[in-house]
Amino acid sequence: MKPLRDLRPVFVIGIGFHRYQAPSDVPYTLLGVTAVREALADAGIAWTDVEAAYTGTATTAMGMSRLMYRHLGSTGIPMAQVENASASGSTAVRQAAIDVASGLHDVVVATGVDKPLSFTSPHRAAGVRDLVGNRAVPFTHFALLANRYMHDHGATVEDFARVAVKNSANGAGNPYAQRQRALTIDEVLAPPLISGSLTKWQCCPVGEGAASVIVASEDAIERLGIDRRRAVRIAASVACSERVYGKENFDAALTGETVGRAYEQAGITADDLDVVEVHDAFTVEELLYVEALGLTAPGGAAAALAAGDFDIGGRVAVSPSGGLLSMGHPIGPTGTGQIGEITRQLRGEAGVRQQPGARTGLAHMVGVGAVCVVHILTTGD
Amino acid sequence: MTQPFHTGLYEVDADVPSLHGSRCEACGATFFPPMAIGCAACGSEALVAVELRATGELFTFATVHLHRGKDIEAPFTVGEIVLDDGPLVRALMTTNDGFAIGDRVTAEWVVVGTSDDGDDIVEPRFARQP
Repeated sequence: MKPLRDLRPVFVIGIGFHRYQAPSDVPYTLLGVTAVREALADAGIAWTDVEAAYTGTATTAMGMSRLMYRHLGSTGIPMAQVENASASGSTAVRQAAIDVASGLHDVVVATGVDKPLSFTSPHRAAGVRDLVGNRAVPFTHFALLANRYMHDHGATVEDFARVAVKNSANGAGNPYAQRQRALTIDEVLAPPLISGSLTKWQCCPVGEGAASVIVASEDAIERLGIDRRRAVRIAASVACSERVYGKENFDAALTGETVGRAYEQAGITADDLDVVEVHDAFTVEELLYVEALGLTAPGGAAAALAAGDFDIGGRVAVSPSGGLLSMGHPIGPTGTGQIGEITRQLRGEAGVRQQPGARTGLAHMVGVGAVCVVHILTTGD
Repeated sequence: MTQPFHTGLYEVDADVPSLHGSRCEACGATFFPPMAIGCAACGSEALVAVELRATGELFTFATVHLHRGKDIEAPFTVGEIVLDDGPLVRALMTTNDGFAIGDRVTAEWVVVGTSDDGDDIVEPRFARQP
């Protein structure tokens, strides 16, 4: 068994987006093609250079890849949808990276695209029923976590709100973000409460959008004349699924396990990270995950956040894109979009969102089931 | 007569609610809701039905203030309880006030509706132990 790093090196050579937005009449095909065209232009290659295509999606329709990619020309390449709940886009990137690392292909695209048309539940499909059923929706899952976190670590609602304040300021600098307005702590905490201590601005918007990532081998970079300085190395790609954790929160436990393997495979530690995108669908999650990543000691996240450690320009920028909270969480695109943001940061092309001197980045998603996917990216040189 | 709000999770004719769980005879893991097919901890098919006392410690709770579903009106409070018999379960609490993490809690029957035949529909909800 070999980690990705010991196979053929894989580089991100192109990134592109369609803005994340509230559901509209724009068809998914146009959302996706907009992102792919931007990624092709970013890489400086043609669609005919792409040898395989994945689509990260969970809420749109079956068999959707070819109907979308055909608008770039029907080249006959292999295509497939990758569904892994919220981690669908991350898993599509992982599949593309595996194709290149194995030598199966030299240039592969992974496009996350979704419209919120069809949300299904594996528990319902399996006939698994518990005592709360539909009376506990995701808001409440995370409200329960938030209450326990406050109990364990003495955190306050203001501590949670600061996550949304930071990420909304980051999103305000991101033209692809669904929410582009910086919020004050009072706005974040303003009623009504939805569940527990959670307010609207502490919960991510689920809309539509697209984000595309093109990965390639060194051979392809050479052959296609791609600018090596803008190519970002995928140093680790790790996916894990939930084990039985007892009363320990499974999202955090699973994250810790996945991240540990990713650090080992990339040969880095948490101290090496300059920029991080986490699954911050709800404010409490960012505090849990920065601790699971080892960016602070357990219980230390709120103080580090308040001290500015996770700001752009701080010790390690967390969710500089705005994260799920402000950039948005259109499901399929979210994971590919994280890779796009980290790539932009490591190239030094993130403009007002630029983390100074960013050389090593990490992208983290969890998905219902539960699964966790982590990528570590490093500057190509 | 009373009828259960859920099927397969408890028996409404018991005076004190208890919960239908499963235990793996191979690894000892205990589950609620009951597990069939294979053990999620070890994969063994040696799963047996066990009755779990609906008593334990409140691990966390949250009051739902806005709820779109028609099955219940907000506000209501959801708790996570570590049962004395093992599993962490999610259930509704009897009231929206007066709980603290770490409380000893136990389930009691709560009428949540009326069937077409005029029977009470009940489910177990958790209250602080007196």
